[in-house]
Amino acid sequence: MNILSRELRSNLRGLLVWALTLALLNLLLIAVYPSMAADKEALDELMELFPEAMIRMFGMEKLSMADPIGFYGVEAYFMVVLFGGIYAAILGSGILAKEEDDKTIEFLLAKPVSRSQVIVEKLLAWILNIIALNLIIGLLSWLSFEIFVAEDFSRLTLFWMLLAPLLVHLFLAALGFFTALFFTRRKSSLSVSIGLVLGLYFINTIGQLSEKVKFLSWLTPFRYMDAGDIFADGTINPLYALLLLAASAAIVAATWLLYQRRDIAA
Amino acid sequence: MAIIKTNSLTKYYGKIRGIENVDLEVREGEIFGFIGPNGAGKSTTIRTLLNFIFPTSGSATVFGLDIVRHSREIRARVGYLPGEVNYYDDMTAGELLAYSARFYNKDCSKRIRELTELFDLDPEKKIHSLSLGNKKKVAIIQCLLHEPRLLILDEPTSGLDPLMQRHFFEILQEENKKGVTVFFSSHVLSEVERLCHRVAIIKNGRILRLEEMDRLRGSQFLKVTLTMKDPASAPPDVPGIIHSEQDNGTWRLLFNGDINQLVQELARYELLRLHLEEPPLEEVFMHYYEKEESR
Repeated sequence: MNILSRELRSNLRGLLVWALTLALLNLLLIAVYPSMAADKEALDELMELFPEAMIRMFGMEKLSMADPIGFYGVEAYFMVVLFGGIYAAILGSGILAKEEDDKTIEFLLAKPVSRSQVIVEKLLAWILNIIALNLIIGLLSWLSFEIFVAEDFSRLTLFWMLLAPLLVHLFLAALGFFTALFFTRRKSSLSVSIGLVLGLYFINTIGQLSEKVKFLSWLTPFRYMDAGDIFADGTINPLYALLLLAASAAIVAATWLLYQRRDIAA
Repeated sequence: MAIIKTNSLTKYYGKIRGIENVDLEVREGEIFGFIGPNGAGKSTTIRTLLNFIFPTSGSATVFGLDIVRHSREIRARVGYLPGEVNYYDDMTAGELLAYSARFYNKDCSKRIRELTELFDLDPEKKIHSLSLGNKKKVAIIQCLLHEPRLLILDEPTSGLDPLMQRHFFEILQEENKKGVTVFFSSHVLSEVERLCHRVAIIKNGRILRLEEMDRLRGSQFLKVTLTMKDPASAPPDVPGIIHSEQDNGTWRLLFNGDINQLVQELARYELLRLHLEEPPLEEVFMHYYEKEESR
């Protein structure tokens, strides 16, 4: 577990920066909620004034701004999913690409480690980092709810709302991991993974805007962990969760397989 | 026993040739020089042996183990010094050595201490702040710290100052006395002369020649420089002249044949100057290169 512990240490700073930034953003938004909620009727009236497209875009047809969790779903959830997703993709691709870009891979592979071991330890490293990211954000957000939100709210729904991004992040990190096989320059792997996340998010948004291309959303991980669904159902859809996990596992397996027979570029 | 044995080892990068039908045998306990110009395929061979890249065809064994199937077992007993040293910038020299040591199932701390003292390396310094020579020292230490049975060194002396180079060679010879086999590549031929027991010459991805150093040293190569009174006269013609060039009536010949025949032939000329000397190995090698190229 030599590689794993090295990766955990070297990624720690990045993890804390991303996790605390996102957690603080959540804290601020949740802290604002009580003053917004003071006039609930006005808030819901305001929502009705929004153009239809905008309401769809934010998934607001299922979310009530007048509910603390609904409010969280509209204002904060997408940021955690999207920005956390960017972090995940950067992490997943960088963790492989950096060794080849810095040519330290020749150091690593000259040691008695199998390629499987390299992949597995790096995989564990990003999984643990992403769990930690969501744990930090989740705990601080929950704490903020307890401090700032005076009214009653479903802690169970909140739990699912805070857990759901984890599954999206795992998928996006797996995708980044896979792209690092083809983009071994750190700069290109970085832009490709950010591009992928933003691209998928954009596709998801288009799918939500128009009934005709609704299916597009389902090609992205975001649709499977939709804030509106979670708010409406009070839980995540277990089938969707399973699908996301299975897809992530398949991508990781493909990465593992291709890495076994890979020529390390000089 | 053969420590390294390759059988028609071939590597193509797509359509670009890396190495072709390389047959090598490195015996236990020898220092083996792998000589060739840049781009000849030295690094490709080494990278294939370590399974960084996969052979296109052919096979090879190290310690009798297949380089693809048993790469990990092989690498546990090999110390590798890369030609270009690239390490994790955020680590200190000491951290890198400790990280390296943890991959082996043994306590290497004593050996690390010995070697850092020997090379006068400050383990507290960050890798990125080290000079090229100091980075090379870190690389040398990390390749020795687990007491490997085989050292594979890619251009080991580049970036080392002469003093360090001597130090390093002493260590190599010391290791070799303990039974460690050394395989190293170089394009600096003078290095080979001093260290190696045997050498292989590689050019354009093919092994040109495999030779005992003693035989090369004791070979009958002669460098003949003669100036004729009549610059227009034809050059000497005896079997054994493998290379000749003329410059202003002065002929330079590389000769490897019966010296009596040469003397008889030279007696026919009226000479202004005659100079016979043992050629440096470099010249002998260069000749091999050129002969191959002109084919």
